[in-house]
Amino acid sequence: MDTEPKWRRYLRFWGADARADVDDELRFHMESRVAELIATGLTREQATREAQLRFGDVGDVTRTLHHLARERESTMHRTQWLEAIRQDLRFAARQLLRSPGFTTIAILTLALGIGANSAIFSVVYSVLLRPLPYAHADRLLDLRERNGAEDTQGMVVTTGNFGTWLERARSFDALGALSYGRYTLTGSGDPRALSALRVTAGYWNALYIPPALGRYFGPAEDAPGAPNVVVISHATWTSVFGGDSSIIGRAISLNGEPHTVVGVAASEYELTPSAPALITPMALTPADLAEHSDHELAVVGRVRQGVSTEAALAELTRIETELAREHPHGNFDGRILATAYRDKVLGPIRPLLLLLGASVALVLLIACGNVTNLLLARAAVRQREMAIRGALGAARSRIIAQLLVESVLLAAAGAVAGIAVAALGVRFLVSGDSLGVPRLQDASLNAPVLAFTAGLALLCGVVFGLVPALRASRTDLQSTLRASGNRGGGGVRERLRSALVVAEIAVALVLLTGAGLLVRSAMLLQQVPPGFSTDNIIVGGIALPQARYATDAAKAAAFAELVANAASVPGVEAAALVSRIPVGGRGYDCGVSVEGAASSATVDANVRSATPGFFSALGIPLLQGRTFAATDAVASPAVVTINASLAKRLFGGASAIGRRISNCVGGKDGAPFWREVVGVTGDLHARGLGEGVTDEVYFPNTQLVEGAMTLVVRGGVPVSGLVPSLRRVVAATDPQLALSSVRTMDEIMRNAMATPRFTTMLLLSLALTGLVLAAVGIYGVIAYLVTQREQEIGIRMALGARASSVVGMLVRQGLVLAVLGVAIGAMASVVATRSMASMLYGVTAHDPLTFGAVATLLVVVAVVASVVPARRATRLDPLAALRGASG
Amino acid sequence: MPRPPLALLQGTLDVIVLKTLSWGPMHGYAIARWIQQVTDDALRVEEGSLYPALYRMENRGLVKAEWGLSENNRRAKYYRLTAAGKRQLVEESTSWSHFAHALGKILTATQQPA
Repeated sequence: MDTEPKWRRYLRFWGADARADVDDELRFHMESRVAELIATGLTREQATREAQLRFGDVGDVTRTLHHLARERESTMHRTQWLEAIRQDLRFAARQLLRSPGFTTIAILTLALGIGANSAIFSVVYSVLLRPLPYAHADRLLDLRERNGAEDTQGMVVTTGNFGTWLERARSFDALGALSYGRYTLTGSGDPRALSALRVTAGYWNALYIPPALGRYFGPAEDAPGAPNVVVISHATWTSVFGGDSSIIGRAISLNGEPHTVVGVAASEYELTPSAPALITPMALTPADLAEHSDHELAVVGRVRQGVSTEAALAELTRIETELAREHPHGNFDGRILATAYRDKVLGPIRPLLLLLGASVALVLLIACGNVTNLLLARAAVRQREMAIRGALGAARSRIIAQLLVESVLLAAAGAVAGIAVAALGVRFLVSGDSLGVPRLQDASLNAPVLAFTAGLALLCGVVFGLVPALRASRTDLQSTLRASGNRGGGGVRERLRSALVVAEIAVALVLLTGAGLLVRSAMLLQQVPPGFSTDNIIVGGIALPQARYATDAAKAAAFAELVANAASVPGVEAAALVSRIPVGGRGYDCGVSVEGAASSATVDANVRSATPGFFSALGIPLLQGRTFAATDAVASPAVVTINASLAKRLFGGASAIGRRISNCVGGKDGAPFWREVVGVTGDLHARGLGEGVTDEVYFPNTQLVEGAMTLVVRGGVPVSGLVPSLRRVVAATDPQLALSSVRTMDEIMRNAMATPRFTTMLLLSLALTGLVLAAVGIYGVIAYLVTQREQEIGIRMALGARASSVVGMLVRQGLVLAVLGVAIGAMASVVATRSMASMLYGVTAHDPLTFGAVATLLVVVAVVASVVPARRATRLDPLAALRGASG
Repeated sequence: MPRPPLALLQGTLDVIVLKTLSWGPMHGYAIARWIQQVTDDALRVEEGSLYPALYRMENRGLVKAEWGLSENNRRAKYYRLTAAGKRQLVEESTSWSHFAHALGKILTATQQPA
């Protein structure tokens, strides 16, 4: 008795049907039991009831079995799928090993592309993508005061205004103020000048990271007259104090005064290796709080939870507007310029990193183009294999999957080799530490970077593998099998390969143009005369502690002694002091006005205070009048010198000598304090060669007294040899003093150029990598053409064609590709390089010279890359080639 | 009057099935019948519970199922022991006889606890 419907069998033909199997099996059981019971004499009805009784709940059992069967099937599918992948992988590995030349080139190309991308990504991740280390970093604002509608940068905040903000603002959880300072550490080895951050207690609340050790200082400790405390940076703790945790509670001598160390700051505060070594409390005295015109404090605020940034700024602007009404001469107009703290820290570096990221992505594009081309060539060779597999019944999807597995495996191998490239790259990038890129030193091949690498490899494998796989699987079975097998996909495949090479050349041109523009800028910058001498000059900072040198007279006397002592060192030609060294030191500028001028408009100019010998020591020429002399003392008539640029701006063609000018120095609440111009000196690029000539006002250091000056020494002997004697001289003047950040003027100039130089070098090496890869691409296509046309070339040669005409014919093909690529690339470059305008000096983003040079270079490279395989074609044995044709 | 059938101890069904299959491949109904014959119906196995046990053992790799033809030419699912199933049967038999031996000693003990 067969009650199973016949059509069921057809269902099974298409694959196992688990549910039907369960039902069949149970039906067989029941029917067998019923049949047996009937045989013992029961009626069919009785038998059925008895069978059901013995069996139990049929519905329940069926459901359980369905579930178990399904479970089994899914496990089975998974195993089968894994098995298929394993087979594909093993087969792919065998295929790749069978052509080691192809595999090596492809893996190296990919390693270069993927590795470079991973290295740059590790920097982008470390610098840009990671959140800032502070608690509630998204609510942090950098707050500055605006001085007039055209002021886009804003000014740091006056002490008095900051005090008022603290008192009146309600929408901030924390407001912290900071300024920079310097201390001389004594009693822990040699005296050492340490950079310091002076902060109000609110700073720790605004930018909070738990301390590495001890605690930070609180509100009572930044009050005037509070005992001296200090928090040391993590780097200082390890390098100066050997990581000794008993440092907490100990007193260290800073500027000759004991300061109790209360804590070690978290290492995350050090965004760059040159981060301040000490953090001391800034006590705002009643006099500071009454000061509403001296802009001194950088301010960071954390917006209160639940208050919007707009609302917080509206409140602060209201307070600032009141302040502007109360203090009309404070150089602020009542508006606040706020920047998200993240943008303040990372904003300046973002365009550079994005440029590098884009460039390195282009290199990867070229690399992928090359590998695609290699795979296309291979597909041509393997056409017979594919055709046979197809004929044997392999589904097209199966063949595509197999080829994709192969290309992904290739990419994975490239990624593994790329990690080595990336490790080298990261090491190189991190060595650019002196650039001051925040958090650059943390860049490493961590998990997110490796995940990026893996993702990139997978993407590359699919992208460069898909087109060749689709093409290879679409072979026309009959024609391939019938053909002798040495002919590739013909016109279509050739066109695709040519298009890829054109694209590679275009991309390489974009890269080279970008790099070329940077190189041109660097070359032009080298030719800019700085306006001062950089030869054999060494500088170092000296800060006189306020406690020991309280009066202006004491400071002037100490500085005079220092200069005299330094000048007496054998080998020193000239020694002088200046408040801020051009290029190396940050300065400040303020508006200069002329006595008796019709207009009240002012000209902003840098303020520097210098000893008489400064101009000759730094080689700044005197153009008119005189420089300072010892007679320009505190009580003498107030004098200044200005530079030629400022003289021209203030007085046009007329002589500046004897005229009187005034600026922010010495005048109270807007009342001018007039000083006589006694000399005009040469122009200089005080903000760096890339910036224009600056306007300068110089004060005798006796009339504008500053506690921290820079010693400038010109040597008759190599200056590095002078450093020990100079340190001795400083210590002899006062054992509590130390020279800080001793550098040669050459070093200062080099450091100022570090970022552009680093960018140029990096972009240039990426562009050259792109060029080499593109050249390999051209070479590959021409070489492929040669093999394709072997017979034709053989016939031509046999018929008497000269080698040169055959080479010419092939090179022309390479040339056409190159010219096409250059044309497309030039158009793309015009758009792409526009974003680089801010990084260029002396050239426009579409500098014709750069474009021309780069285009020529690419065409020449293309010709060379074509000549090599073309010449090989002429050395073919015509007989062998012809025999191949008849085969 | 026949004694009421013994309830099946948890987990014993598996070992019974394994033992049954040790004679050779069988379909589900044959297994049920064999158990019934051997135990003279003393062990009441609800026939329906046999199948989930078989399926679970199949998922665990102790038995393997194949469709074949029954004695009366019907399509029936035959189960046979795998190597893992044979190992399992040896292990289970050993532990069962240890258990039975120990229990027997307790129940036939003549010494009263001290």
